[in-house]
Amino acid sequence: MAECGYVISQGAYIKLVLHALKHRSSPVNGLLVGRLLDGGIAGASPTVQISDAVPLSHSQIGILTYLELALIQVEEHFGADGLAVVGYYHANERHDDSELGGAARKIGDHIFRYFPQAALLLLDNKRLEGLAKGKGCDPVLELFTRDSSRSWRRASSEGSSQLSIKEPSANTVLLDYISTEKWNQVADFDDHLDDISKDWLNPNLFN
Amino acid sequence: MVGAAEEARLNRLESQVDNGGGGAWEYLCLVQKLGARRSEKVLKHGLSILNDPRARSRLGVEEWTLYEQVAIAALDCQQIDVAKECIAALSMKFPGSIRVGKLEGMLLEAKEAWADAEKAYARLLEDSPLDQVILKRKVAMAKAQGNPAAAVEYLNKYLEIFMADHDAWRELAEIYVNLQMYKQAAYCYEELILCQPIVPLYHLAYADVLYTMGGLENIQTAKKYYASTVNLTGGKNTRALYGLCLCGVVIGQLTKGRNKDEKAESPDMSSLAAKALLKDYKERSPEKLSLVTTMMKNMKLIS
Repeated sequence: MAECGYVISQGAYIKLVLHALKHRSSPVNGLLVGRLLDGGIAGASPTVQISDAVPLSHSQIGILTYLELALIQVEEHFGADGLAVVGYYHANERHDDSELGGAARKIGDHIFRYFPQAALLLLDNKRLEGLAKGKGCDPVLELFTRDSSRSWRRASSEGSSQLSIKEPSANTVLLDYISTEKWNQVADFDDHLDDISKDWLNPNLFN
Repeated sequence: MVGAAEEARLNRLESQVDNGGGGAWEYLCLVQKLGARRSEKVLKHGLSILNDPRARSRLGVEEWTLYEQVAIAALDCQQIDVAKECIAALSMKFPGSIRVGKLEGMLLEAKEAWADAEKAYARLLEDSPLDQVILKRKVAMAKAQGNPAAAVEYLNKYLEIFMADHDAWRELAEIYVNLQMYKQAAYCYEELILCQPIVPLYHLAYADVLYTMGGLENIQTAKKYYASTVNLTGGKNTRALYGLCLCGVVIGQLTKGRNKDEKAESPDMSSLAAKALLKDYKERSPEKLSLVTTMMKNMKLIS
């Protein structure tokens, strides 16, 4: 599998972190939507552009019914704009759990079947905690990609499979939203199923 | 777990108190009653009562339950010093109490002093080996340490004694689902449905697990339980209606080419569910109506 760059938009990045912050005592997950950009001329490596994140669940993450439902609706909605499901994000229940769990891997496998350059993003709790102290531009996420041995591997810091945020000031904006408890406004698919008037697209979140 | 109407009432009270409209004690009682986890608010509003001597004395005997509630909320928010003060006050008022002993154990848990917490609970269990609260703390500790296998073991032992504890069965089922041990989760939900056959939550959760397990027989059973959930909730449960739709589609795919008579009944329930969903979306979520309509058309549940 050729190495591939991953760029996530500020909106997608902030949305998924806020989703995790809204439900601190449970695991959360969601889908990543975007497109693959060719390397173009001179053989530059291709880039997966993650343009949006759809928060899915904060309970019963191992259940297939609502995952399948969400995949159908997300693909239907974003397909119209030429976007596809390009990855999955997950935040573990416990603060010091930095492993990619079984459920996350299974869901990742499923997405991989349709999009081989799929990215699995795991929230890095320690980096998130340290965000308020440092002024780094690095995302508070760990990237996992599927390697040739069919398992999910952490992207090494030397390889060319790196995750970067499109807008360099994203962490500053994120800190600002955290201080205003913006996470209260994030609605996920679970919330939608409890009350269909809540929109999992979160169209007015950053207005 | 909190129902929709109760959650709405809780949220209303919460914003009333937040905006200075009073009702803090009513809010705290409701949080306690519903078993909701709103530790930051409980800490803030609970402390405001406890730090006001007149408000505190107005509570009378309830003052002590408030100390307990605030202590637990403080532990959840990692405000260890506040928790220590509350527990000290309780310890002075109720020396040698096992209820206060549990709080002291939880304090050790919050500081991640796992070995000390284990010892503290073991001591308490010596005097009261069947104390449900302490036994449950052992399960919680195993979960917090990332040891789901131990949590499962303790919970199973607990349920051998207290087999009517529905919350414990639900907790066990949820741990099994997290471990992707769906058959075992299904068994837990079966126990719950046997004990309380008209609680729709258990039918729905059981159907979810069966659907996840997959295979024709499981999905056919899942469909029955999504249907019973629809029945028990007067057709108002979105998840159950969607579950019926998905089951209809999967069963159709799995039984392609089989005896047509067998299939005759299947599409109807799922189509009815689809129509019910579309009606609801039209009323309450019109922006999503065309998306869901397209989805139902693609799944051949409506024409």
